[in-house]
Amino acid sequence: MDKLLQFGRSMLQPLLAILVGLAAGAIAIVIVGGSVMDTYAEMWKGAFGSFYFFTNTLSRATPIILIGLGVALAFRAGFFNMGSEGQMVLGALSAALTAIYLPGPGWFKLVAAIMAGIISGGIWSAFAGWLDAKYKMNLLITTLLLNYIATLFAGYIVSYPLKDRSGSAAMAQTVMIDKSVWLPKLFHGMSVHGGFIIAAVSAVLLFFFMKFTVKGYEIRMLGGNPLFASYGGVQRGKMMLLSMFVSGGFAGLAGSVEVLGTQYRYIDSALTSPGYAWSGIMATLLAGSHPLGTAVAAILLAALQTGGMGMERNTDVPLEVSSIIQAVLILFVSAKLSYSFLKRKKARS
Amino acid sequence: MDQIFDVSLFASTLRMITPILLAALGGAICARVGLFNVGLEGLVLIGAFSAIVGNHFTGNVFLAVLFAVFCSLLFSILFGYMSIQLKANVIVVGIALNFLALGLTTFSLRAVFNVKGAYYNKDMVGLPKWDIPVLKDIPWLGDVLSGHSPLVYLSLVLVVLLQLFLFKTVTGFRLLAAGENPTAAKSLGIKVTRIQYGAVLMCGVLCGLAGAQLSLGNVTMFTEGMTSGRGFIALVATMLGQSNPLGVAASSLLFGFMDALSIRLQGFALPTHFTMMLPYIVTIAAMLFFKDKGYMQEARKSNESSR
Repeated sequence: MDKLLQFGRSMLQPLLAILVGLAAGAIAIVIVGGSVMDTYAEMWKGAFGSFYFFTNTLSRATPIILIGLGVALAFRAGFFNMGSEGQMVLGALSAALTAIYLPGPGWFKLVAAIMAGIISGGIWSAFAGWLDAKYKMNLLITTLLLNYIATLFAGYIVSYPLKDRSGSAAMAQTVMIDKSVWLPKLFHGMSVHGGFIIAAVSAVLLFFFMKFTVKGYEIRMLGGNPLFASYGGVQRGKMMLLSMFVSGGFAGLAGSVEVLGTQYRYIDSALTSPGYAWSGIMATLLAGSHPLGTAVAAILLAALQTGGMGMERNTDVPLEVSSIIQAVLILFVSAKLSYSFLKRKKARS
Repeated sequence: MDQIFDVSLFASTLRMITPILLAALGGAICARVGLFNVGLEGLVLIGAFSAIVGNHFTGNVFLAVLFAVFCSLLFSILFGYMSIQLKANVIVVGIALNFLALGLTTFSLRAVFNVKGAYYNKDMVGLPKWDIPVLKDIPWLGDVLSGHSPLVYLSLVLVVLLQLFLFKTVTGFRLLAAGENPTAAKSLGIKVTRIQYGAVLMCGVLCGLAGAQLSLGNVTMFTEGMTSGRGFIALVATMLGQSNPLGVAASSLLFGFMDALSIRLQGFALPTHFTMMLPYIVTIAAMLFFKDKGYMQEARKSNESSR
């Protein structure tokens, strides 16, 4: 019973934030002269209205969940990993290249491509961790900088050496991946693909890892109280490399499943312009770095985005209402930190 | 080579850096009081949009710039309230602010002008171009330095003024003290919160000016998300310049030059990716040599202890 109560209390703040976000959205809708109820109804329909739209939302949520999980792990360890975008892009690029150029049967290429995505995203992220551990360079800034380098590098690769010159379209993209390597769709004709299963399983696995393993405990300890962790014999540098590698690995996995399940080739800026990485960070913030919560929050954010598209199709209200709702949500959730801060202050005095 | 490095390249460099420089100066002040402002991008975007709105409704460039400054100021107050008063994580607030700005400006673009993507009106007047009397007659230098918008010159003057303010005035020293060690500053009777608010507001003003230069100086239009990462580049310029106005100016110059150079190279169909990448690599390399200072550790502390 106690646990249930605690759970309810931890849910209260996000729910409150969602309400405030929806209220802010309602104000915006009224300003452009739309009907609030109708607009939200359209939004709901656009996200969950039919089986097709529902699977659409899930497929958009897939990379967001994976990135959110990675960021959540880093947050739990006390590191602000803002480099998911670059890690995702490098993961996507290496997955695409592996799938295209590696010889072998389809399933082998698929597994190899996913592994390549995880490893390259992880190494890119661990590099930032190494710079921090070894040279005390601020992780927040290095991860931010490495984003640009990664996206520009990937952009160069697909615009010059490995550009698709077979088609007539002059787009910066690689050639199409062979059909045998595609991640299978879960339902015929729907956009949700096998990556969603991977994301859901990862969320559960990460939850158990954080909760029940020694390493998970060490990571939480490091994030909760670095001094206590070092007293307990946790080596910060080593843990930093490990947790940053896993964190970046998740982002790389997000990029790989997006390439192998949805786009079937690496297209320049197809991953960065929908803002998957930032949505993932938002999902993590919304859920307070809880792995399962992050998955739920990611689906919620994806629903807001796909719902916004549906709303724009059927009403005069612009799509951006949903990004206003998202931003207000995050602002309110960040106020939660102050709430717990006040509690701590009280406890001290 | 002569075709690449001609006069107009340097002139466009100067135009390119102004938004980055103004925003980076704002970021530097915030960093000096221990607030790492990730929301620069959003503040500049709001400035850019409201400059166009002001221009549309008043038809007066000066009022438009004032309106831009006012709107950015409002949002910087929000940033300050969340991060100083409510003690929310500065970085999270900054990220949320960026999203809010992107959503709000695109939404308002639809709500106010009823267009999507970009707003352009040929009746709109941009910022005037000033010819500097004596300077413009000097052969090469005149072409580079003369004929820019007032904000370009203002930004250069502000660099010097801020440098003097931070390191030569009493208020400046108090500001540094508030960032360096808030507890010690408080014990000396310095009102840390008030100084932090002051810094955030100053940052808002600078970002508003940066936005106005972006939408009324470089071009006379607004496009969705037209900052396209300039706020983050400004943030990087702040880091590279060690939050020191002169250093920030130098690093912004580097970024602006690379920006102008890559646009030029595009015209020659050469790969621009590596020239665009260079500033970031330089920044990472520079971070190796300039170790974190006190205010940086403060920012680091605030982003680590939040979990």
